[in-house]
Amino acid sequence: MNHSPSRIEITPATAFSKPLRHWKLIPLTLLLQTTLLVDSQESGVRFIQSYCVSCHQPPRPKGKLDFSTVTSEKQIVSRALDWDQYVARVRQGEMPPDDEDVDQPSHDERQTFVRWIESTLREAACENGIRPGPAITRRLNRSEYSASVRHLLDIHFDAGEALPDDGAGGEGFDNAAETLFLSPIHAEKYLEASQTAVEYGFADTRSNRRFLTAQPSDTLSPQAAADDILESFLPRAFRRPVSPEEHQAYREVFDSVYHKEPSFALALKTTLSAVLVSPKFLFIIEEPNPHPHPIPVSPHELATRLAYFLWGAPPDDELQQVATEGRLHESETLRRQMLRMLEDPHARKVRSFAQNFIEQWVGTRVLGREFRPDPSIKGYDSELEGGMKYEPVFFFHEILQENRSLLDLIQADYTYVNRRLARHYGIQGTFREQPKRVEITDQPHRGGLLGMAAILAISSHPHRTSPVLRGKWILDTLLGDPPPPPPPDVPGLEAEATGRAPTSLRERLEVHRQHPTCANCHDRIDPLGFSLENYDVLGRWRTTDQGHPIDPQASLPDGTSFSGPEALKRLLLDRKEPFLKHLTKKMLGYALSRGLTHEDYCAVDEIVTELGHNGFRSHALLWGVINSVPFRYKAGSNPETGVTLNTAETIRHD
Amino acid sequence: MTRPHQALSRRTLLKGAGAALALPWLEAMDPGTLRASEAPRPKRLGILFMPNGVREDQWTPTGTGREFKLSKTLTPLEPLKDELLIPTNLWNQASDYGDGHYVKTSGFLTCQTISKSLGFDLNSNGISMDQIAAAGIAGQTPLRSLELAIHPVSIGVDTNVGYTRVYGSHIAWSRPTRPLAREINPRLVYERLFRAAYPRPEKNQYQSLLLDRVLDDARQLKGRVGQADQSRIDDYLESVRSLEKRVEEASRSEGKTWKPLVDMDPGVKPSGIPREHAEHVRLMLDMIALAFQTDTTRVCTFMFGNAVGNTNFSFLEGVQGGHHSLSHHENKEENLVQYQRIAQWHVEQYAYLLSKLKAMKEGEGSVLDHSMILFGSGLRDGNKHSPRNLPLVLAGRAGNRIRTGQHLKFDRLTPLANLYRSMLEAFDTPMDRFADSDGLLPGVLA
Repeated sequence: MNHSPSRIEITPATAFSKPLRHWKLIPLTLLLQTTLLVDSQESGVRFIQSYCVSCHQPPRPKGKLDFSTVTSEKQIVSRALDWDQYVARVRQGEMPPDDEDVDQPSHDERQTFVRWIESTLREAACENGIRPGPAITRRLNRSEYSASVRHLLDIHFDAGEALPDDGAGGEGFDNAAETLFLSPIHAEKYLEASQTAVEYGFADTRSNRRFLTAQPSDTLSPQAAADDILESFLPRAFRRPVSPEEHQAYREVFDSVYHKEPSFALALKTTLSAVLVSPKFLFIIEEPNPHPHPIPVSPHELATRLAYFLWGAPPDDELQQVATEGRLHESETLRRQMLRMLEDPHARKVRSFAQNFIEQWVGTRVLGREFRPDPSIKGYDSELEGGMKYEPVFFFHEILQENRSLLDLIQADYTYVNRRLARHYGIQGTFREQPKRVEITDQPHRGGLLGMAAILAISSHPHRTSPVLRGKWILDTLLGDPPPPPPPDVPGLEAEATGRAPTSLRERLEVHRQHPTCANCHDRIDPLGFSLENYDVLGRWRTTDQGHPIDPQASLPDGTSFSGPEALKRLLLDRKEPFLKHLTKKMLGYALSRGLTHEDYCAVDEIVTELGHNGFRSHALLWGVINSVPFRYKAGSNPETGVTLNTAETIRHD
Repeated sequence: MTRPHQALSRRTLLKGAGAALALPWLEAMDPGTLRASEAPRPKRLGILFMPNGVREDQWTPTGTGREFKLSKTLTPLEPLKDELLIPTNLWNQASDYGDGHYVKTSGFLTCQTISKSLGFDLNSNGISMDQIAAAGIAGQTPLRSLELAIHPVSIGVDTNVGYTRVYGSHIAWSRPTRPLAREINPRLVYERLFRAAYPRPEKNQYQSLLLDRVLDDARQLKGRVGQADQSRIDDYLESVRSLEKRVEEASRSEGKTWKPLVDMDPGVKPSGIPREHAEHVRLMLDMIALAFQTDTTRVCTFMFGNAVGNTNFSFLEGVQGGHHSLSHHENKEENLVQYQRIAQWHVEQYAYLLSKLKAMKEGEGSVLDHSMILFGSGLRDGNKHSPRNLPLVLAGRAGNRIRTGQHLKFDRLTPLANLYRSMLEAFDTPMDRFADSDGLLPGVLA
């Protein structure tokens, strides 16, 4: 136990036994599969013939989908987007439908088929180099809006507080372009917020220094002062150079107000408020690419992508300056900027990145919101909630800022606790309400995400633990292999209210697992969760539950037996590929602020390879994302053209 | 925020509430004659959505027509029995696909099947009935409609079933690709209603100018972004335009077409989001009542919870655990008891709103008399996730257009869309076709 990251590291040459580009042939969760994948066109086509064609064939194919003529991978590749949808339905168990007269594939047949389609699509997508996505158009989400207003006016005031909250899309983050909708309420809220923020900025002397760069005087006319202010304000607000016409348009707002009422302050406030309600400020907008082939995004577009990725905030003056000089696409410059941004002396911006990413990835944002423990669970209070909530945030912040191994997420010998959480874990020392770093080499049950109270809580029911939910959390969140939802009309797997039942939860779950339909998935899910049963709802260590001794033994379908969280972590570290790959996908999705496509997965594969060569360091991941084709390029009108690595290299060193 | 009309006289108040009330002798007159001479009252449409369904054996009333007995879950509505119309056997066929919850939430008011999506190409494939109503009366009130909820949009995407949780957090869709953002903070709702009811022209003097600039920028951008992204810019354009209209209306010195029907009392302004769920819900319902009473808006949807909402109802005696978990009751009595109790609590809140609207006098009757308030869930039994025989209650006569005081049992599998069409008819925003509707519901309209 107590692996320190350096001891776990494996040298690049032996890190992966197979070339990574063949990963797609390995089931994502090899450790949890009953059979190895035998992938072939033949068995895939047979699957379609056996399970799909009986409904989807002429003369009246269901859903107007005729699969009777599908005999080759080529046909599937030629309609890749459609097949994405079809295969999702098979993966999630919706197809074939649960009707009496429809044959059902076995679990293994289903898995094999799904992986065949997915790898076929992936392979085809990567053939012509990596294809980037189109130019981005999206509005800022609520926290980005607040950070952007703060950047412009230097106010300590959450301008976005009254905005409606945003949902998530794509890879599960609230910066996803596809789910940043605009309702009628938005304009109203933006107007109100902008006026409040500008008033606030005018009233604050520190804030004045940021944006009131000139004042009318005997030698400076109000109009000239307004010009001076707009000259620095507009490019910062729109995150790019501003044309003389654009400048003039805002100058006219100033003039019109000033003409009616000669008050410099009033005219300027109105003008600056208009800037903050303009879609040029509220939206990240990239110029569409007029060419058929992909081109690099413009330097200012790259700066904007970079800043909202690493800071959740707009580019600062230095980053804009580098972009203006046209140097940002130089590999060395870009990398230096990345490192500078991660240093972030005030830590606030990188911490907000850490928080936005980790809380949405691992799901701890629900703590205190959708998830609150039942009052019957003793010991929960707001200071503990705070400690629990911030432990993964501060922990991940350190990983990012200190370039630590990403495998620390699975096992580490340090964490962050506040006074209340330290007591909760039984850690000795002096702590305050603010989380503090602590070495936990003497804490066998802590270290890594799986030992964190927040994660153990949100993967429980409010009133008791659930091996099923925890197992599902590991498969879905850590390994990116979500089990399908339970089919309708199966007996419930878990009974409520453990304490009132005559047998232990484990015994009852085992009875249910004898049901063959359930066993398919629960044989994979439950063992993972059982190994964490020593943690109660709030993640406290326990050896009994309602009088029943805890039995953390688990055995996987492939026969691997293990017991307890330490063994689980070792297992995950031994077979780390699915974890790293999934984390990379999440990070790329967050950076691109959209859902990933097969084309993006080609980039994911490359980044993961690089990770193996760099000791799984966090900066290798961030750099891999930032330097990737999808991050640095935008698609042209011909979506079939990709960027091969050589082209990318060339442009990188232009 | 200052109160603009602090010294509003009782006389003015009465004028707002209908001049007829000021004249005591009128009260003795024949109500029929009076109603005919009175100006028509605005009609309101409210929809309260409850996630997770009900305990089915304790929902449906016994007896039909006017002679019916409320079920255990509906007992909180006993004092309001004459105001109710309870439809049994309606179903939402379009939501009988996909998963157990998301389809049944986003499709609750559209009666269409949502597209499976994590965000990209998200589509409800319909416009919700509340938004059809809102579009039909657009411009008559400062706010087109009000969308309220208790919980923020659920976090993340549901990778088990392949839907973004955006679907589970929205029932109002003004376009198939545009769910409407909800407000969850009662203080912000109050402030929004207040701003809308009492715009400050002195503050608005240059707002038109400001908004013109913004509109111009939006138009410029439209030409610059790709085809697919133009609709987002359009959404914003539309949002700014409607705001501009309001600003213009507010700065008009005369000929205003809208005034609050009664004055808003700043004393009832909520201070924020209470930690207690029950109090939070009450405050939101108060805001609905206030919005309707002042006529700031006539259309409102409210979500007690999001799809798969696992709100902890341990504050109810005998309940331990989350709503969604308990809705998977496995037919165990100990779970069913708690599940029923939670549904009944929701019905109590509904009864609270109805009573409140009933106590708000308006003309000869009450605000409730001029309203239609629907309560319902997108599925019947949480263990089965079936959108058949949905639990629904409609209350209020919508200005004598709805025949309340009855339990109507329809043929099995009667489209829910028929109820919506009937409601739209009563709201004077009729639709010849709506989703799978094949007609009006018999016996509903007066």
